[in-house]
Amino acid sequence: MAEDQTLMSEDDERASPSDLGGDTKPRGCAVAGEYVSPFPDQVLENVLENVLLFLTSRRDRNAVSLVCKSWYRAEALTRSELFIGNCYAVAPRRVTERFRQVRAVTLKGKPRFADFNLMPHNWGAHFAPWVTAMGYHYRALEKLCLKRMSVKDEDLELLADSFPYFKELVLVCCDGFGTSGLAVIANKCRQLRVLDLIEDEVTDDEIDWISCFPEGETCLESFIFDCVECPIDFEALEQLVARSPSLKKLRLNRFVNIGQLYRLMIRAPQLTHLGTGSFSPSEIAAQGDHQEPDYVSAFAACKSLVCLSGFREIIPDYLPAIYPVCANLTSLNFSYANINAEQLKSVICHCLKLQIFWVLDSVCDEGLQAVAATCKDLRELRVFPIDASEDSEGPVSDVGLRAISEGCNKLQSILYFCQRMTNAAVIAMSNNCPDLVVFRLCIMGRHRPDHITEEPMDEGFGAIVKNCKKLTRLAVSGLLTDKAFSYIGEYGKLVRTLSVAFAGDSDTGLKYVLEGCSMLQKLEIRDSPFGDSALHSGLHHYYNMRFLWMSSCRLTRQGCKEIAQQLPRLVVEVINGDGEVEVKDDCVDILYMYRSLEGPRSDAPISVTIL
Amino acid sequence: MSSSLEKNMLILRSSDGEEFIVPEVVAVMSKAIKNMVEDECASNTIPVPNVDANILAMVIEFCKKHDESEAEAASDLKTFDSEFVNRGQEALYDLITAANFRDVKELLDALCQNVAEMIKGKSVHHIRIQFLGYQLFEILTSNFIWNIWCDRDFD
Repeated sequence: MAEDQTLMSEDDERASPSDLGGDTKPRGCAVAGEYVSPFPDQVLENVLENVLLFLTSRRDRNAVSLVCKSWYRAEALTRSELFIGNCYAVAPRRVTERFRQVRAVTLKGKPRFADFNLMPHNWGAHFAPWVTAMGYHYRALEKLCLKRMSVKDEDLELLADSFPYFKELVLVCCDGFGTSGLAVIANKCRQLRVLDLIEDEVTDDEIDWISCFPEGETCLESFIFDCVECPIDFEALEQLVARSPSLKKLRLNRFVNIGQLYRLMIRAPQLTHLGTGSFSPSEIAAQGDHQEPDYVSAFAACKSLVCLSGFREIIPDYLPAIYPVCANLTSLNFSYANINAEQLKSVICHCLKLQIFWVLDSVCDEGLQAVAATCKDLRELRVFPIDASEDSEGPVSDVGLRAISEGCNKLQSILYFCQRMTNAAVIAMSNNCPDLVVFRLCIMGRHRPDHITEEPMDEGFGAIVKNCKKLTRLAVSGLLTDKAFSYIGEYGKLVRTLSVAFAGDSDTGLKYVLEGCSMLQKLEIRDSPFGDSALHSGLHHYYNMRFLWMSSCRLTRQGCKEIAQQLPRLVVEVINGDGEVEVKDDCVDILYMYRSLEGPRSDAPISVTIL
Repeated sequence: MSSSLEKNMLILRSSDGEEFIVPEVVAVMSKAIKNMVEDECASNTIPVPNVDANILAMVIEFCKKHDESEAEAASDLKTFDSEFVNRGQEALYDLITAANFRDVKELLDALCQNVAEMIKGKSVHHIRIQFLGYQLFEILTSNFIWNIWCDRDFD
């Protein structure tokens, strides 16, 4: 130990700032005699900043920063892309003090279950303190990606005013802003290349925001606004598309009808990604009997199109329009398209190159069988329910899942909503699709067993964790006993994200997971019978995790408090999901906890108690 | 010897006294040498202290290739670079030192990129063992704890 400390202090000495500062390279005419051969590890230190130019992945960067103090400093000076997985884990000030040259930031806020209205709307994750700090310290910022953050119009205005070189704004599942904020971004960010609004909740301020892009040619490469639920000024949009020669990705909202889509496609045949908008005619066009535009040739002219989405209010009669592009498609999103098996088949039979496919369960098992027969290169499949209620009929089942597993052996990721499932089908998938990285099976009815054998779904999920060696994300459902969780703990060694809903039968189940899944980063559990003793079994691991969410489980406030006392670097939030003041005596509605360098946050609303 | 030297040629003398005759255009790919030539503080023979003949030969080989292949396909040059830098750690470090102190940008970049490739995907522990050569960091001091914390949150 003593020896180690000596070495450590030596290291500290050598890591003096002069080793890292700008001009370390001797110039010409250096006098030979002055030169001293460097220590082997100093050789690298002298050129470390140069080495780091070639290291971009955040995992590598994080590893480098932990090697020793001098590497830490060199890394901090050269990191240009920043990823922050939880906006409350570090404060903006700590970030801007450490990293000085940041050009791109990704920042995440609320936990995923916020999407299901499980937490109060005013919970937090405000962008305001971040944009204030970054506006001051990161004038060179070019890219910003926010996920589940609360963004105000003022924040967007400050953003537009703060970063003169700003080029890319991506907002995913964000809320709090409206079209007037978008108008400012459009108007002031003159070099904007990317404006992607994905599943955001945008207020309609009744402002013609698309007209706010400046006159003249734009730099736009990607423009995605399919989530913006407001009518748009189509003339302005058409002009914008016409003066955006670099535009490659365009996703329209449902207020753009198919006739308007036609006009846009004629202007932008260079598109590679297209969200079609409504994919139905305007009411006037539908009533009139004037001649329809030649949609087929408009699609045929888009020779670069590889990714197609939209179809938000589809009239299936128009589907033949997309046939000409199907052979090139690698990604097709029908998750808003209420079409039946026959209609899907007419399209899918052309889609030989498809790698990503999202679809509604209205296509039934029969539709999925057609996908399995054609799409041999499929990597990702998502099947969403048209009726998500617990006792809906559920048009897809184990039959569709088995067909997919047999036809699509390259599958890496699946999200599958259904009502009826069997262990045999899930086991078949675990055997047929060994490359699965993501397996999310949602059996919507609570506690449903294998619908043929009536047994719990334990063996199916067990096979997935046993046979799919690359699995990092798992969502379980249906009737599950502790056995399923023991399999997950024993075999799910790479699982980073686990979602549990309406499952498990005792504390033991969760203990298996917390003791076994050493890579677990994110654990979200709802409506499951896990209590304080299960929670305590994870003490050794919570500092390693990004967060733990438990709602409607069997936790007591006292149990949560004990965790908070034993792990002081953990922020333990107890939340009343209704947004009311927590009144219930000892029963915890929602537990959300995460590690943080900063301790309890100061912006918690009244419905949140930090223990 | 220098009197019989062809025009536009220079002699580089390694730390162990060996001399290399190289075209000036190649030699001045080292900024340090270029500065000496421009400042006219060099005769035709330029000493290259702290770089032995073995390493100097390698540096010259690299520079010659890069000088000749301006017209060549970039991919060929890339292949050459990645093969060139693929050496044992000792030679690699000597080359880095030479490239750094003689300021040969292309070579330094190629070498640094190679080191970056060696770091990619490795754990902190492995990086320490490979590049620092000792394992003292197995014991975390309180000073360093917050860094560990911090970095988990950038992951």
